[in-house]
Amino acid sequence: MSSSAPAPVTETADGAQPSIVVALSHVSKQYPGVRALHDVSLDLRRGEVHALIGENGAGKSTLIRVLSGDAAPDAGSVSIDGRPVAFDSPLDARKQGIVTIFQELMIVPELSVAENIFLGNEPLALGCLYSRPEAERRTRQVLETLVKGSGIRPAQRAAELSTAQKQLVEIARALVFRASVIIMDEPTAALSEGEAASLRRLILRLIADGVAILFVSHRLDEVMEIADRVTVLRGGQHIATLDAKSIADTDELIGLMVGRPITELFPPRNAEIGEVVLRATGLTRVGPFEDVSFTVRAGEVVGFAGLVGAGRTETMRGLFGAERLDRGELYKRGAALDIRTPRDAIAAGIAYLPEDRKEQGLVLSMSGVENIAMASLEDYCIAGVLSWRSLRATARAAAQQLQFRGQLEASAATASGGNQQKLVIAKWARTGADILIFDEPTRGIDVGAKAEVYRLIHQLAGEGAAIIVVSSELPELMNVCHRIYTMSGGRIRDEVAQSDFSEHRILEGAFAAHLGAGTSAEVRP
Amino acid sequence: MMGVSDSTGPIAPAIDARFVPVSFLRRHSREIGLPLIVVLMTMVFSVSSDVFLSAPNFRNIGVSAAALAAVSFGQTFAILTAGLDLSVGSTVALVSIVGSLVMRSYGIPAGLLAAIATGAAVGLVNGVVITRFKVFPFIATLAMMSVVSGLALSLSGGVAVTGVPAAFGDLAYQLVLGIPVPVLMAAAVLVTAFLVLRYTRLGRRIYAVGGNEEAARLSGIQVSRIKVAAYIMSGICASVGSIILTARVASGQPSLGATLPLESVAAVVLGGISLFGGRGSIVGVAFGVLFISILSNGLNLMNVPSYTQMMLVGAALILAVALDQTFGSGRAGRRN
Repeated sequence: MSSSAPAPVTETADGAQPSIVVALSHVSKQYPGVRALHDVSLDLRRGEVHALIGENGAGKSTLIRVLSGDAAPDAGSVSIDGRPVAFDSPLDARKQGIVTIFQELMIVPELSVAENIFLGNEPLALGCLYSRPEAERRTRQVLETLVKGSGIRPAQRAAELSTAQKQLVEIARALVFRASVIIMDEPTAALSEGEAASLRRLILRLIADGVAILFVSHRLDEVMEIADRVTVLRGGQHIATLDAKSIADTDELIGLMVGRPITELFPPRNAEIGEVVLRATGLTRVGPFEDVSFTVRAGEVVGFAGLVGAGRTETMRGLFGAERLDRGELYKRGAALDIRTPRDAIAAGIAYLPEDRKEQGLVLSMSGVENIAMASLEDYCIAGVLSWRSLRATARAAAQQLQFRGQLEASAATASGGNQQKLVIAKWARTGADILIFDEPTRGIDVGAKAEVYRLIHQLAGEGAAIIVVSSELPELMNVCHRIYTMSGGRIRDEVAQSDFSEHRILEGAFAAHLGAGTSAEVRP
Repeated sequence: MMGVSDSTGPIAPAIDARFVPVSFLRRHSREIGLPLIVVLMTMVFSVSSDVFLSAPNFRNIGVSAAALAAVSFGQTFAILTAGLDLSVGSTVALVSIVGSLVMRSYGIPAGLLAAIATGAAVGLVNGVVITRFKVFPFIATLAMMSVVSGLALSLSGGVAVTGVPAAFGDLAYQLVLGIPVPVLMAAAVLVTAFLVLRYTRLGRRIYAVGGNEEAARLSGIQVSRIKVAAYIMSGICASVGSIILTARVASGQPSLGATLPLESVAAVVLGGISLFGGRGSIVGVAFGVLFISILSNGLNLMNVPSYTQMMLVGAALILAVALDQTFGSGRAGRRN
């Protein structure tokens, strides 16, 4: 591995030295049993978007932790404007101008927007009192410089904001701290396509003002679009730092990330499509979704596209009995279903793989084995007494089939995102369900694992299952599904057959409820 | 990930050698720490008191620990679901009264049955209030503590229920193979609880509900039923504790068990069960009980006043949790 060379400081076209704000040089960090970073060097320049990519476990999180003052490197150094620094806390890094926006946004829901922005940095009146008018005035000012008409009021409770708006608040906070470097960890993972586009526009405005941005993302098309330079990590080592203009396509990046070329990310769609398995008519819960009707056939993969808040997840949770339905009927192979609880749904052969693996899909404190058995525990019990032997055997077989590469006996918390998703898939495959709903099945997992999830989806379809995929990633839907419904404002707006797939048509459906009302990220139905 | 690279050959193994035992100790600090402290404490008391290390004194410790043990094993069920049962103390009192009254009129077996049923009934009410009416366990069982205590006092008129069969009172002092019957009863509860938690569907579901209620619900687990079952288990275990205590004083006492809510929660938390639910082993709780009982016995022998002991038990609880927060693996590790 030719990883020892640090990223050379290249000269810009006109021969001037690009000004480096922050540099990591030869940084190593070891955790018990894991060498998280090994001799990694990286620098951030004023006014650049520097993308950091790599599979899960490549060391991205550790690198962020080192840069944000959350972990001290075992070897190597961090310097700001050429002078070496040692952060003793995240607050320290922040004071020196490095602000990190984590994937789990650090927003206190019960505080106002202004209070969140000035948390720990409150403007004072008379030297000791929190000056609310001053905080709100400056909040309004900074939000205005970020996005015209963001729709965020400084006095508003942060809990009322959408994910995209919360992110905006975090960015505003970074600006108030006079950040020279903003680290964004998967900033678009929880955003819909439209919201992500707004964020990317905002990032371009930030760098024009001289801020350096470290942009960590799994979405390679996005990286290609926005980054000036791209650094690839693999197994804790620095693989390459590339000028974005010199990169041919995303396949090149994937090859660097996984260490081998990925020929087919998406498997061919050649399952035989049969009779209608699931028919939903007029599903309604007043508020989140209304009059949603659709069908899914055996062997078919049906996508649901839309913005965050379009009502897709709510519809699926309603269908699954996880939330109340006000109206609507469900039929499986023509027979009416009466589903009031997830238990009823499982009995009817329906599986729901939630969008949030950690919060809803897995019991992180329990082992992989037990998570796999979670929805089918009866199968390993005789009169309520559990046979660990048969449970282990089944779990091991399932794990092998799905190419699970974690520790089955260790708690699920220790598995990587991709392996966690495989545990969830194994859990539901064990129930023998023939209607499977995948909600954001590849969110936050790396490319190699994505390809495997797609393969598993098509394998299940090939076995005759009816499959629903809810996703905010258009390329994913367009390459995995046979048919796509678009939802907006809680209603189905369009139904597109595979032969008619186009980004334009799907986005039109996704924005249907917002057309004419402005289509920025700040729109919230 | 772990491969030793050639460039750092001499350094990497040295780091590994340092990390392995440390990480092992860290990972198992909860399992090893408390038993170690219990053993150390035993050694200290053995040296400082010439009575401590004797069979009669150990029987003493066993008998006084037995009731707390039974109640704590029940408390474990409630806490594993991310709940809490503060009503265990007054449940012990109510069971003592009801059991004695029934026993006085209908004999020992009927009395024991009534005792168990009473405890189960209190647990059922706790469970229903918590799941059906969505009252937080803390408030629900705090309120039930008052309700049940009031019930015990009304039933008894505020005075002891005397006249229980003498054979029942003797139970507390009988030995089987040299082991006091209360200790055997507590051991039976421990074994049963261990088997239920580890080898039954109910047990694993209790861990699942405590570990992640939403994931459990979406997996088709009937969360409410599991929680109700856990509180019923807590009530039944409190009954066993009450039977032991009632036999020792050979009468129904309406004020029995006042210190049990604190002591049982202390034993469970010291034993490494997470108050957030879903984590920890009942074997640890047994050591938690031993810790509290040996501490109090040893301090007794050293003539430390009981009021001072109360302060020490409370302080030990805070110290143990603080140590765990500072050094232990405690909560789940950070995400990567």
